[in-house]
Amino acid sequence: MQTQLIRELEALLGKQAVLSSPEDLMLYEYDGSVELGSPRVIVFPSSAKDVSGIVRLANRYEVPIVGRGAGTGLSGGAIARSGGLVIAFSRMNRILEIDAANLRAVVQPGVVNLDLSRAVEHLGLFFAPDPSSQKSCTIGGNVSENSGGPHTLAYGVTTNHVTGVELVLTDGEIVRIGGRSIETSGYDLNGLLVGSEGTLALVTEITVRLMRKPEAVKTLLAVYDTLDDTTESVVSITVRAITPAACEMLDGFTLRAVEDYVHAGFPKDCAAVLLIEVEGLTEAVESQAAEITEVCREHRAREVRAARSEQERALLWRGRKEAFGAMGRISPMYYVQDGVIPRTRLPETLRRIEEISRKYDLQIGNIFHAGDGNLHPLILFDERNREQFARVVAAGGEIMRHCVEVGGALTGEHGIGMEKNELMPLIFTPDDLELMQRVRDSFNPAGRLNPGKVLPMGKACGEIRVPPTPASAAIST
Amino acid sequence: MTRPAQASLSRLEDIAGSGALLTGEAELAARAVCGMQPIAAVMASSAEQVAAILQFAAAEKLAVIPMGGRSKLGIGSSPTRYDLALDLSRMNRVLSYDPQDLTLGVEPGVRIEDLLRTLGEQKQFLPLAVPFAKRATIGGIVAANSSSPLRHAYGAVRDFCLGMEFVTGDGKQAKSGGRVVKNVTGYDLHKLLVGSLGTLGVITRVNFRTFPMPHSQGMFVASFSSAEAAFDFCRAVSHSVLTPQMVEVANPGTAALIFSGEFATRLEPRTWIVIVSAAGQPAVVQRYQRELGQLAGAAAAEDFLPLSDYEASSVMVKIQEFPRLMMERDASALIFRINAVPGLLAPLVAKLRVLAAQRELDFVALARAAGILYAAFLPPRENSAAPETLTQLIAEVYRTCGQSETQATAMLEWCPAELKNSPEIVWGPARPDFALMQRVKKSFDSQNILAPGRFAGGI
Repeated sequence: MQTQLIRELEALLGKQAVLSSPEDLMLYEYDGSVELGSPRVIVFPSSAKDVSGIVRLANRYEVPIVGRGAGTGLSGGAIARSGGLVIAFSRMNRILEIDAANLRAVVQPGVVNLDLSRAVEHLGLFFAPDPSSQKSCTIGGNVSENSGGPHTLAYGVTTNHVTGVELVLTDGEIVRIGGRSIETSGYDLNGLLVGSEGTLALVTEITVRLMRKPEAVKTLLAVYDTLDDTTESVVSITVRAITPAACEMLDGFTLRAVEDYVHAGFPKDCAAVLLIEVEGLTEAVESQAAEITEVCREHRAREVRAARSEQERALLWRGRKEAFGAMGRISPMYYVQDGVIPRTRLPETLRRIEEISRKYDLQIGNIFHAGDGNLHPLILFDERNREQFARVVAAGGEIMRHCVEVGGALTGEHGIGMEKNELMPLIFTPDDLELMQRVRDSFNPAGRLNPGKVLPMGKACGEIRVPPTPASAAIST
Repeated sequence: MTRPAQASLSRLEDIAGSGALLTGEAELAARAVCGMQPIAAVMASSAEQVAAILQFAAAEKLAVIPMGGRSKLGIGSSPTRYDLALDLSRMNRVLSYDPQDLTLGVEPGVRIEDLLRTLGEQKQFLPLAVPFAKRATIGGIVAANSSSPLRHAYGAVRDFCLGMEFVTGDGKQAKSGGRVVKNVTGYDLHKLLVGSLGTLGVITRVNFRTFPMPHSQGMFVASFSSAEAAFDFCRAVSHSVLTPQMVEVANPGTAALIFSGEFATRLEPRTWIVIVSAAGQPAVVQRYQRELGQLAGAAAAEDFLPLSDYEASSVMVKIQEFPRLMMERDASALIFRINAVPGLLAPLVAKLRVLAAQRELDFVALARAAGILYAAFLPPRENSAAPETLTQLIAEVYRTCGQSETQATAMLEWCPAELKNSPEIVWGPARPDFALMQRVKKSFDSQNILAPGRFAGGI
């Protein structure tokens, strides 16, 4: 039957659009997470009609379907956990329209995030969600995961930037929700679909908002001798109602790895730095930068300096965005966490992570979106050491539990996927989950669309899933 | 529809306490929806009570409409059934407010006016400059997705609502989202409840992010001789580096309403007027004044004026209360809420004006420049329009919005109840996505007891 399905897929899409040899399939076993799963066949549609045809075939053969963009996701969202068919959107990568007058763009799901911003740069516009993987991740993936990034502190996450979506439903029907206008009457289906991690429908076209570039940008680097001073500064910035466009924190351990790799001028002997960006009208930027500098100094920042040139600014950001990659230089593998906490709980949370690091005898680096309380502790490990990996998973679970205890959430931007679906009961009651299940069933009644994601499967309740063997390390976040 | 016996209804008193069940004629009349009166009203005081009431209603197959300040019960199509009014005005507590974290959790019955006062004490606010501000409660504002001119800078309810707790049609308590400002844990079900008019669940808690009050503010008005010039100015603002708090376009009818009385000497109200507000440090506000003045000049503005703080707050109230003021002028007003891209607002307004003129109706329009248009059609003073004229106009408005060159979606937010003889009157002709909305409705309220018939596609 499998051969028959592949033959039908080839007839539908052409031989060049179907991969099924073992060596090809291997390349699609993993994504940016530590998960693995083997699909039976990969298909490359060129249109919504292709996707619809694929879905109808998959239904006939009763095989699971998993949508995939660039495979940079960090929670296993694009992993074919139950095998089946992977729909790779890399050939649906056209920007269909740039409507500068109305600040909209219409794109296919395989368009790379940064490519859209580059395509509208000459118009003074950009696409706001900026995950660190933006050089490779796709907008379809951003929609599935409701991706964030450093500048979402000021601009909001993907859901705040999507006005319309074309979908292929599980029965193969093609339907549009929302549109080009900022709102659409009726239920907010965009709000449901964005962040549904590919479990409700397949996205084949997206209408997004474009933002106008600010007149002035100022990037500050504040250097600290203690972690507490760093986190207290973030709390004070929030409390004093200063609203930077980005407020990122890198701890000293991470910085040293980054500096050796990027040479951005980060001091290697400090406890942590804050990378803070303010944007807007020149007058506003100057006064905000002055206020932030004052707050940082009140909290004993050893140095607060502003990037003097665009080049220096770009280098500081490269240090932040390639920090995960830099980790690869000092550890064979790492497991990136993605917890969220109320911003005022930052100091105690960082102290708790230090304790957990000592308790499990693991090195944990911290690079994260401090301004919105979105943590990314990076637990380093060596995949050949199974015993150590078990400790990694336990430490990750403990960090998550702490986030929940202080009123936070399981994931701020990486998604639940197959990594944290068994942790969902930490936040949600059986009734909450049952309702989510009912909503999913109403879109995905046979459960063949991205099975085993988001909602718990009922086994190993309340635990992070331990993959038998971790896949290769994440590229970036 | 089976009407339960009085004995059965007394069960509601067991749940919500003595005095919580209202059956008096005046109390029921006050809770009528589109002319339909319930057989009883029950005042809930907690989420647990709401759950118990809905379990009872589900078992008895009673159709329930939730309400708070009752200011917006006129929005939505006529209910197909309506047995029980679920009054949430007693659920009016602020459950958590962490000014340092800029987050807030409130019960649905909290009045926006009271909440803004509480936030104001901490120099914070929610960008909800919504209509019916004296009566409106958070639950109603969320359920009706009330529009605020401040959405230009801050987004709408969906953008700053962090999570919700609610009770579904089977009487089960559920939640989604959370209390942190960034969160992708599970499906964003709470976004579905925004604007759902009580058809998916009864909201028992809403979490928001709050915003710091700006240091200073300024409001400016520019007047234009044509709609095209006014919208050209809006386009120039949106293509500049300025990021105003709000940009509102008033047609001459609306301008006359906003700039009545003492303003009349300063501005010619028979023109198109754009109202822009800016916030920030005084130097920033001064720069807005300078550059907005230049942009207005380039767009051939007839006048450009900064308003005093007193004038600005009076203008703000009239903008925010636009639908209420329209209905106060004439209870038979038709008020559409239309979503369109900014660039198509001008031609859309022009077409709607023609539709009004053909029927000798007054056309009063207020547009949020980001793409939301209130279009009101009113009979000239001391006159009335024949129902068939209005029904035909409604169809024409939907047809105009649906044209490919307009690409707009519309709903008739306010109209006389007697016109609402089908859901299409209020929601427009069926769209392909209505079928998906039906699926959502079934997941939340499989027995169809929550505000049946009130929503798009007959939901």
